[in-house]
Amino acid sequence: MPDLTRRATLAAAALAPALRPGLAAAQPAPAPIPPLPIPPLPIPPLPIPSAPPAAARPLFGAGLWTLPNGLRIVHVEQRRAPVVAQYLFVGAGAGDDPAGLSGTAHFLEHMMFKGSAHVPSGAYSQRIARQGGNDNAFTSRDVTAYYAQVEASRLPMVAMLESDRLAAPLIPPEEVASEQLVIIEERRQRTDVAPRARFQEAFAAAMWGRQHWQGRPVIGWLDEMRAIDRDALVAFHTRHYAPGNCVLVVAGAVTEAEFRRIAEQEFGAAPGHPFSPRDRAQPPAAAPEARIIRHEKVEEAVYATSWAAPSLTFGETRHAYPLEVLAHLLGSGPGSRLHKALVQQGLAAWVGASGDADTYGVSDFSIQAAPRRGVAPERLETALKAEIAKLLDQGVTEAETTRSTRQLTAGALLALDGLGAAPRMIGGALAIGLSLDTVEYWPAHINAVTATEVTAAARAVLAANPIHTTGWLLPEGTEVPA
Amino acid sequence: MTGFSLPIQAVSGGGFTAWLVEDHSVPVVSLAWSWPGGAALDLPGAEGATSLAMSLLTSGAGDLEETALAEALRDAAISLSFGADRDEAEGSFRCLADALPEALRLARLCMTAPRLDAQPFERGRAQALTRARSALETPRGRASRAFWPLAFPDHPVARPTGGTEDSLPGLDTAALRAALALQLRQGGLLIAAAGAITPAQLSALLPALFGDLPAGAPPRVPPLPNPTNFGQKVVPIEAPQSFAIFAQPGLAVADPDWEAAQVVLRILGGGGFTSRLMDEIRTKRGLTYGISTGFDTLFGEGIVIGTVATENARMAETIALLRHEWARMAEAGPTSAELADAVAFLTGNQPLQFTDSRRIAGGLLALRRNGRPMDWLDRRPERLAALTEPDTTRVAARLLQPQALSVLVAGQPVGL
Repeated sequence: MPDLTRRATLAAAALAPALRPGLAAAQPAPAPIPPLPIPPLPIPPLPIPSAPPAAARPLFGAGLWTLPNGLRIVHVEQRRAPVVAQYLFVGAGAGDDPAGLSGTAHFLEHMMFKGSAHVPSGAYSQRIARQGGNDNAFTSRDVTAYYAQVEASRLPMVAMLESDRLAAPLIPPEEVASEQLVIIEERRQRTDVAPRARFQEAFAAAMWGRQHWQGRPVIGWLDEMRAIDRDALVAFHTRHYAPGNCVLVVAGAVTEAEFRRIAEQEFGAAPGHPFSPRDRAQPPAAAPEARIIRHEKVEEAVYATSWAAPSLTFGETRHAYPLEVLAHLLGSGPGSRLHKALVQQGLAAWVGASGDADTYGVSDFSIQAAPRRGVAPERLETALKAEIAKLLDQGVTEAETTRSTRQLTAGALLALDGLGAAPRMIGGALAIGLSLDTVEYWPAHINAVTATEVTAAARAVLAANPIHTTGWLLPEGTEVPA
Repeated sequence: MTGFSLPIQAVSGGGFTAWLVEDHSVPVVSLAWSWPGGAALDLPGAEGATSLAMSLLTSGAGDLEETALAEALRDAAISLSFGADRDEAEGSFRCLADALPEALRLARLCMTAPRLDAQPFERGRAQALTRARSALETPRGRASRAFWPLAFPDHPVARPTGGTEDSLPGLDTAALRAALALQLRQGGLLIAAAGAITPAQLSALLPALFGDLPAGAPPRVPPLPNPTNFGQKVVPIEAPQSFAIFAQPGLAVADPDWEAAQVVLRILGGGGFTSRLMDEIRTKRGLTYGISTGFDTLFGEGIVIGTVATENARMAETIALLRHEWARMAEAGPTSAELADAVAFLTGNQPLQFTDSRRIAGGLLALRRNGRPMDWLDRRPERLAALTEPDTTRVAARLLQPQALSVLVAGQPVGL
């Protein structure tokens, strides 16, 4: 997707060779379906339900309504091409997988393509393809989302197809076993064959615990993926796939009146029913493992360090936006602090920082770096720690902060170029309980961040923090750093 | 399908011609351009020079050293990038309409006055070296590294685009400047633009952006031969899953059967869940997360190529099914229902390809690269609608050669 959301901007600016492998890395040829973005959705959110600054204009000018059954519907009119994009966000993802059954949300996402009351198994994608459309789905920790892009007059058809499987997917018993093999192959392809992806997985488990929702992989632990049966899938659907727990976003060449009519006709009849609120475990008292070392057949060592952090929905939410600014200020390529201190000084091949503020529940703030060949790993680690100490001691300057807020928001309007950004940003935010205004006015909120706030956020998160893990992925035979 | 049309204009200025789709509904402009050559121009032993040189164009230019250039680009939210593929080099930018003059200034500076300062050069080379070595960590990377020299033993297309652990240490800035001198010329340039830019603006931009490049074109590369049939080969690497690349000769882009062949390949293994290979190998048997095949277009030739990954123990079964489906399609071609579905998809999907300025500019560039006329897309639906089952049956038989399907597997496959 051509998303240029805040999250994507951050990710692109940082982490030259990203540690987290995306599907793009694993699947260069025409990509099969459906993908599973492991760094989750780009969701630019906002904590404070304050009134937007008077001068600011909404980014998308979206309309939001709620149907009597509880389904929230959002409309964004875009007239460049005679096409529409429909996204259905379910407010449940891998973070809501049942205990011991990690991977359930993602497995169900696959099974949602296997038919519903009025649509035979496999016909969903076939019908959309016959109308020239594209369709797919993705699962993150916070949401499961289904989308289709079609020529604008086909919107009623894709709305009907989506509504039908939201209400009653078949999950055919005879197809569960073969699809289980597919997701296991997906796991092998994404993670098991890739040493860096395995390290990433082990790191999260070390920091949060193997069974904590932040410490489990979205795709699931292999043994637990094998343990998911049809009953578990049906139960997950019943518990979470209620209209009141979903957000439907349509962007494209359709008027508000026409879209409302279609939405009411196709989704209005779906009976509302109770759903389980998210029930996520609190963070652990401390990271189960403060340090992990892995040796693998890799060419390049990678260092990772991460702290539990507030998000826009959890803890001291006032730190969430300042942490995004801090991530840019520290690790966003040339001109950022860590690039100057580590890369330009010849210690690191690359360095990046990221804050994942737009999540449901506790989040993290992470820094990753690779030492240059010939540089002892502990030299890089020592230099990085010195930079953190300096940051905590002296804080950040107003000039650095202004530079970061300017660069983070300069391209906000680029999100209008293409159909995917608006639904992903808006649907993702609403599905974790944030307001529409958090998306419409995010540049104003980033621009309002001050140096004092960034310094305070850094001290709150990067100083004494019991949930803090560091780790090294090292080439075989490399000495373990002291 | 309701009348889709992409209103393309040809805009000239200073001896250059660009294709333009003008659209002011969103204040964003994308420009994309390319030169023939790419990694195929690398000298033997200097593999990776063109790709590294292109990527370093944005690491400092004119009086802007690395950080100053990066800040200028990010302050104005300009995404400017350069790169090289096997058969061409490319440049592109996207920016807000207000930032167009700055994007032009910086893009021009990068192409005409690259600094190649020691620090970014050494770091860029070290990163390229890491990438070249890391590619060998996974079955996919091993397969790709092994496939191209086997399929094209005597053609520069087989050179690893990013260089190798042997070639990169020998590269210096002189080698990179030599590569740029071959590649960055006025001749051979293809240019496309989309978004909030008027023909007059574009006409003035063309000579300002490209007029200072040296005259003449990049050196010619010999025509691409058919891929060599190397049968079936295994590259061992320790991993729980094997990765396979399969390929056979294709058609020239200019071949009159090109579009019919695209239809056949879509039905066999293109796009999503609806293909025969996906149905047989993923949906029915759960053998893989994904399998696909289609044309890879290089030097005006389409090679039929595809990939699949599966557990080591089941790669033999997967390849047997692949070969079976290949032969079945070659013998009988698509059914009339499959043909109708594929034509409906390809026709109806056309407007979905043009929803953002980067994709529009990229699409225009692809049309030009393939030598298509300006009304190619507008008339495509009627050409597709005219295809009959005998047409696609004939083309399937002509195109697909089960005996010429070479398969390279990296991993620890059982029974191959």
